[in-house]
Formats: sequence, C-alpha cells, structure tokens
Amino acid sequence: MRAIDHHAWTNRWRDRHPAEKLAPAGGLLLLSLVAPPLTTGPLILASTTLVTVRGAGVPLRTLLQVLATPAAFLLAGVPFLAVSVDFANGFSLQLSSAGLHMALETTVRALAAVSCLAFLTLTTPLADLVPLLRRVGVPAGIIELILLVYRLIFLFAERALTGRQAQAARLGYTRLDRAIYSMGLLAGNLFQRALAQARRMEVGLAARGYTGELRVLRLEQTLSWWRLTASMVSIGLIGLAGNLLACGWL
Amino acid sequence: MSPPPLLAVRRLEYAYPGGIVALHGLDLTIERGRKLAILGPNGSGKTTLLLHLNGTLRPGGGEILLDGRAVAYDRRVLDQWRRRVGLVLQDPEDQLFAATVGQDVSFGPLNLGLSEAEARQRVGEALTALDIASLADRATHNLSFGQKKRAAIAGILAMRPEILVLDEPTAGLDPQGVNQLLEALQQLHEAGTTLVFSTHDVELAYGWADQVAVFHDGTVLAQGDPDAVLGDRTLLRQAHLQPPLLLELAQLLEAGQGEPGRPQPRSREALLARLRERLRDRSA
Repeated sequence: MRAIDHHAWTNRWRDRHPAEKLAPAGGLLLLSLVAPPLTTGPLILASTTLVTVRGAGVPLRTLLQVLATPAAFLLAGVPFLAVSVDFANGFSLQLSSAGLHMALETTVRALAAVSCLAFLTLTTPLADLVPLLRRVGVPAGIIELILLVYRLIFLFAERALTGRQAQAARLGYTRLDRAIYSMGLLAGNLFQRALAQARRMEVGLAARGYTGELRVLRLEQTLSWWRLTASMVSIGLIGLAGNLLACGWL
Repeated sequence: MSPPPLLAVRRLEYAYPGGIVALHGLDLTIERGRKLAILGPNGSGKTTLLLHLNGTLRPGGGEILLDGRAVAYDRRVLDQWRRRVGLVLQDPEDQLFAATVGQDVSFGPLNLGLSEAEARQRVGEALTALDIASLADRATHNLSFGQKKRAAIAGILAMRPEILVLDEPTAGLDPQGVNQLLEALQQLHEAGTTLVFSTHDVELAYGWADQVAVFHDGTVLAQGDPDAVLGDRTLLRQAHLQPPLLLELAQLLEAGQGEPGRPQPRSREALLARLRERLRDRSA
C-alpha cells in the first residue's frame, strides 16, 4: 500500500489533471466489461501496462505486485467456474469446454478491469481525485470521511508496524499462541489509540477554527483537452480492434 | 495607566474528571511582543495550561482575561479568541489532516472566511516563513517529523494569530531542526507576534526567551526576567529544575571580578567570547 501511494505521489504523470487519468481508466474499465473479453481484454491489459510503465514511469515490478493479489484470487476461482456440478443423476462433477471457456473469459475480463484501476491508483493520489468527486456531487460528509480515513490509515499502519516490531523485539511472535495473544493486545491498543487520537485531533482542528466542515484549497491543475480526446480516441480504437478480432475480420 | 496585558490568567483552577488536580491557583501574564517560556518538568500540567489559553479547556475556577476583559465560552467569543490565540500542539499528527501540506495549511484561512485567492496567498506566506514552500504539494504523511512540525506551525501561522502558543516546540527535533525552528520563530517575533512556548529545557528557556515562568505542581512559582528567575537556586530546586549551564559558567567567570551592569552572556557564542577575553587578560 505504501508503494502504491509512493508512486501515486511521485510518478511522471503526477501533475497531470486527474480527469486525464480518471477518464481513460474509467473508459477502459467500461470497455473491459462490455467488449468481447478474449480479444479486447489482452489489448486493455497491454495498453494499461504500457501507459503505467512507459508513460507514468512506474516500475513494471510494482505494477505486477499490485496485480498479483487480485490475480491470485482470480486463479483460485477458476476451478469453480470451469467445473460444473450436476445433481440430475446423483452427483457428478463435469469439466466442460463451455465451463473452461467461461472461466477463461471471466479471468481475462477481470484482470483487464483490475489493470485499469491499478493504472489509476498508481498514477493519481487520492488528494487529486477528491475534487472530482466533489464536482460530480458526492456529499461533503462522505468526502471528508474519505480524506480522514486516508490520512489515518497511514498513521495507524505506521503505529501498527512499530507496535509489532516492539512486540517482536520482546519475542512476542515466536510461538503461535503467543503470536495470537500479541496480535490481540496490539489490536486493542490500536483501538484505544485511535480513540485518543481522534479526541486530540478534535482539539487540534478546533484550534484552527473548525466548525464542522473540512474545507481546503483545490489543487491547481489544468486540463489538457488534447490529451483527454486522444485517450478517448485510443479507447475507441481498442474497442474497435477487439470487436473486429473477435469477429475474425482482422 | 498602562494598557492591560494581551492575555492574563488569574487564580486558575482545573481538575480533570476523576478529581486529579492539574492547575491550582495559577497566575500568568502574557505581554504583547514577548517571548515567554513556560518552564517545568514533563507531566507537570503545562499542556493543560496551554489548552486553557485558547479556550479548549474551561477552568474550574479563576478567570482568563483577553485585553483585560474576562472571556466567555460561547461560540462567537471562542471564534474570536482562537483567531487571536493560535495553539500548536506538541504532536503534529494531532493537527495535520489534509492530504497535502498546502491544503492542510489552507484549512485555517478558509475557516476565517477568506476567499480562495486570499487563502492561497496566506498559505504561501506561512510556508515561506517556515522555509517549507517547496513542500506545498507533498503528501502530509511522507514528511519527516521536523517537516510535519513546521507544517503544523504553518497551519496556525496562516491564520495570523497575535499570540502563537507552542507546546514543546523543540521536542523530538534534531539540533539542526531546533535551530531552523528557532530561526523561523525569531522572525515571527521580530514581525510582532507574541510567542508563548512550554519546555522542560532550561537551556532553551534561558538562551532564547525574554521572559520565563517556572511551572510546578499546577501553579506558576515565578514569572520574570530569565537571569533573575533562573539564577534563583532555591526556586529552581523547588521546581525540580537545574540552573542553566550557561548561567552557572558565566557566574563562575564573573565571581570575584564582577563587572556590574555588564549583561550575562546568553548564548554559547557570547559565553565563549567572554571566556576568550578572560584568558587573554590573564596571559597579558
């Protein structure tokens, strides 16, 4: 998670207007859901990898790491999709070519969709996306919650890490029973700290005139219509190519 | 008649829920343009006192006077009060909430009702004053501790308070971080901001403040000129503090050959210069 955040803040496309990244990510995501997956999916995967690695300069390794977890879940699901259970004459398991085909389609489609989100999260910090949420009319309360959670995740991740290291230094994780005990203590401790932190932050915010609304300045970024249009045209071309390939016309 | 002090605390009493007495008949006077150090050991209730200075905590007894008038605790008065008295908490994590430094600093100015353009200008000023203008677009959680500390101060500074109250501003900073911070604070002082800070560091209070209040057991034992207050051994012993090394050395140096009227050296450099001078005299 820290790696994702680090690249989001430091990649080559950090200063581009978030809409230039959100629109193609969303467009490709939509395309991955509606277009024939076996031909369009690989095209989408290739193009998101290309823009993330060559465009934004995020290391391929990081991208693969981000994709690894959802990919593992997808692969774990493949057997269940490929095999069909039949209760008609007793109980039988069948491995059908239709089932295999469906499993393959689902996996490719899902992987393509995940790659779109990976591109977005690796190139765009949350701070940039929030103003867009505001513009499309997400209520202020929800946006504030998103921001606070985002900020506190890092705070508590760090506390959890140092807490765990401190426990490990006193051999808290050498045996399974002690590890479970230590983890319980740590969780309880973090919960208390979260409450105390919330109270202190209330004091800190009140000192700065907090009246119930967390208003901050918008970031100054200019939208390049040229880049936005180019990305949309590319998505159209990918969709077209995918469809043509699926029909065997290309 | 002299004008009333900017902020004054009279016979302040405060007990935490559960009956633990934190402040007991405390008096403190904050004059305009001062650099006041509130000196006391850890856990002596300094933070509790500072939380009273901007109305976060309500005293159980006694009163707080702003420009000589007793404060009230309704929304309107509190807002005005916190505009004038900016409180910087010890742990910057308790204060920073926004995703980028610039956005975080803009929070206070926008709460003051300033326009976005004005707020943007205030953010720029505050970041420049603390020498962190280059961090404006950085993620808050990726800063070093010293940078976070300065970002938290900038967040208060952008509201242009008359009094800047800092809880243990140098705690957790390395020597370079301390120097950078003190330099920034010195500039604020020269621009007319009244500074109040708590510390357990006698050397810092002696070397940097122009007035010292010794805090002990929920009350202020003495408030006044650093040389007078920190030269009083009985008082310091009572407050579990040691006299500043700088002052002790200077007193030793002057012993027997006093030059009354000559100010005590208040920094390393001044003390070393005095020592060199004395060594030269002796060899001559």
